[in-house]
Amino acid sequence: MKKGIAAILILFVSGLLFAGGAQEKQGTPESDSAPGEKKTVVIWNYWETVKHQETLARICKDYNNSQDQVEVVTKYIPFADFKKQLSIGVVASELPDMVIIDNPDHASYAAMGIFADITDELASWPGLKEYYEGPLNSCKLDGRLYGLPFGSNCLSLFYNEDMLNEAGVEPPTTWEELKDVALKTTKGTVHGFGISSLQNEEGTFGFLCWLWGTGNSSFEINDANGIKALSLVRDLAKSGAMPKDVINWTQGDTMNQFISGNLAMMVNGPWQVPTMREQAPDLNWNVVMMPVGDEPASDLGGENFAIINGDRVPEAIEFLKFVASPEEMKTYINDFGYIASRKDVADTQFSDDPIMKVFVKQMAYAYPRGPHPRWPEISDALSLAMNECITGVSTPEAAAAKAQQTIDSIVK
Amino acid sequence: MRSFIPRTVYVIQKIRRFFRFGNTGYLFVLPALLYMLAFVGYPIISNFILSVQDVTVTTINAPTKDFVGFENYRTLLEDEVLITSIRNTFIFTIACLIFQFLIGFALALFFNKDFPFAKPLRGLLMIPWMIPMTVSGLMFKFMFSTNVGIINQLLQMSRVIEEPIEWLMHPGSAMFSLIATNTWIGIPFNMILLSTGLTTIPPELYEAAAIDGANKRQSFFKITVPLLKSAIEAVLILGFIYTFKVFDLVFVMTNGGPVNSTHLLSTYSYKLSFGLFKYSQGAATANILFIILFCVSIIYLKFVYNDKGTAA
Repeated sequence: MKKGIAAILILFVSGLLFAGGAQEKQGTPESDSAPGEKKTVVIWNYWETVKHQETLARICKDYNNSQDQVEVVTKYIPFADFKKQLSIGVVASELPDMVIIDNPDHASYAAMGIFADITDELASWPGLKEYYEGPLNSCKLDGRLYGLPFGSNCLSLFYNEDMLNEAGVEPPTTWEELKDVALKTTKGTVHGFGISSLQNEEGTFGFLCWLWGTGNSSFEINDANGIKALSLVRDLAKSGAMPKDVINWTQGDTMNQFISGNLAMMVNGPWQVPTMREQAPDLNWNVVMMPVGDEPASDLGGENFAIINGDRVPEAIEFLKFVASPEEMKTYINDFGYIASRKDVADTQFSDDPIMKVFVKQMAYAYPRGPHPRWPEISDALSLAMNECITGVSTPEAAAAKAQQTIDSIVK
Repeated sequence: MRSFIPRTVYVIQKIRRFFRFGNTGYLFVLPALLYMLAFVGYPIISNFILSVQDVTVTTINAPTKDFVGFENYRTLLEDEVLITSIRNTFIFTIACLIFQFLIGFALALFFNKDFPFAKPLRGLLMIPWMIPMTVSGLMFKFMFSTNVGIINQLLQMSRVIEEPIEWLMHPGSAMFSLIATNTWIGIPFNMILLSTGLTTIPPELYEAAAIDGANKRQSFFKITVPLLKSAIEAVLILGFIYTFKVFDLVFVMTNGGPVNSTHLLSTYSYKLSFGLFKYSQGAATANILFIILFCVSIIYLKFVYNDKGTAA
């Protein structure tokens, strides 16, 4: 009996503690800004490369040394967990002060109401008009500005010079040539062409180059143009020039297949270039612009800065203005393998690097995904249609009709 | 105030009387009950509430959430991916269960024989059960890969197939690969539980049966199976529950692909919530999973109860 009472007492007390803990969370945030003490701004990011982490840490150190009011610290969250952590953070009210986020997700989180609207604060900032329209638009929702682009990248066509020479072909410039060259370079275990086609954002990222290349927007697929884009993917897979395994390849996997000599051509981004130079110094490869369907198109990748609605908005804006200044941006953007989102900085980049120059040129034709608050669902419909055509479970016509139905139910 | 004192006394008397008649037991149950309410009841109720609201990416931060009744469930039942995932979950569970059980049972019988190294070998067979599921998933993903996977290489070397099979690229073969992998993982679990059951059967029974002229088959079906009944029931029901909610393996190996053809309820629920930000629909899918498992658990409890009834 004594034990039972003791157990009940313990439970009762722990219950009280529970209630206390819950109340504490609802209360005002801890006041850590005593006079003379530095305020902390926490930034979440998902860069896994050591080089990226080091560079980001250096930027923060620069800023922390430049003034004595604010201390900026970074926190790494793996990409696969990033959206989940952020969504849970919303519910649990445990958010950082800033995030560096994949640009198509920007609108979703802005719509959740967790990003600060900084339109008015940046209206008089001179740097704003220097930004490329595409990257800047990805930070906007309903005409309001919810962040700034960190840096951009886009997709272009990598090719293995030796394999193309051996087959006696030139790098393709149109879709027809792409199919032709891919088929001619396919033999044995070597496939002519590869592009990451996962059924997620990574797959959509590649597929949109084809869809946009017909002149369609991200929201139109069930017409002659959309079917043409899906047919291209279907034809490449059906002829055997593109392995069906691409539906399980990340962009990193695709790059590994390319440098291992299993692919003659691949679509990939400039962030792979430093790794490729390091890991395959003897491989003879080059980059050309994306093959053109009806009009040149590439997909705009990259990250955006966003500030979380909270009590650190003014401090975060000051930091944002610091990292986005042309002087500071020049110190880090090349180390990231990114193309600056500001024209005045991008113009000075990679003047002696012919490969990176191709990506800079391609940027003129790179468009952002969305922006739409329910972009993840639209993206899912598009990558599903693409996968149905690669695996051959649907015809391009049927896949397009189904995807359009999903997209219409979201957009309309 | 006047009526308050007699009433208090009356209540105290009532409480006293309650405990006098051997009802003290309720107090002992209380801690467990409170624990269950806090850590099992609360999540279930909260998940149910989430599933009848309209919580998506745009409304998650709103102060009040719209109540939509069973709208989410209705939408889901019209969603062909959900229907596929319910079907997949059952196919996956039942196929895995059959193979795991049969192979596990056979191995249990085999290792029950006394031969050199029987015990260490049986211990080694536990390895699949001890490896983290994500590791097994990755390993089999590599083994099933089209051009470099060992399975295709072995099949090609032994001239069973000419061209490599694209295991994870087609709906049917991808499901097959998942079932094969999970069977491999689950065999030790079945084997060890059934082995334990086998050791409790006294060898005299077999000797007596042999003297009476029973052949191997008869003694298996008339002695081994009936005496293992409770172990078999436990293995099957636990195996069902365990397999029904598998998540990590599918998440790692196919992530529901190709073209949503290998989604299970668990992975689809995750995708709805954390991939597409449809939190309420994700919660509703999880509830469907929960309801099915709840029914199975009730059947199990009924079995256990009946067994006790007949024994007494």
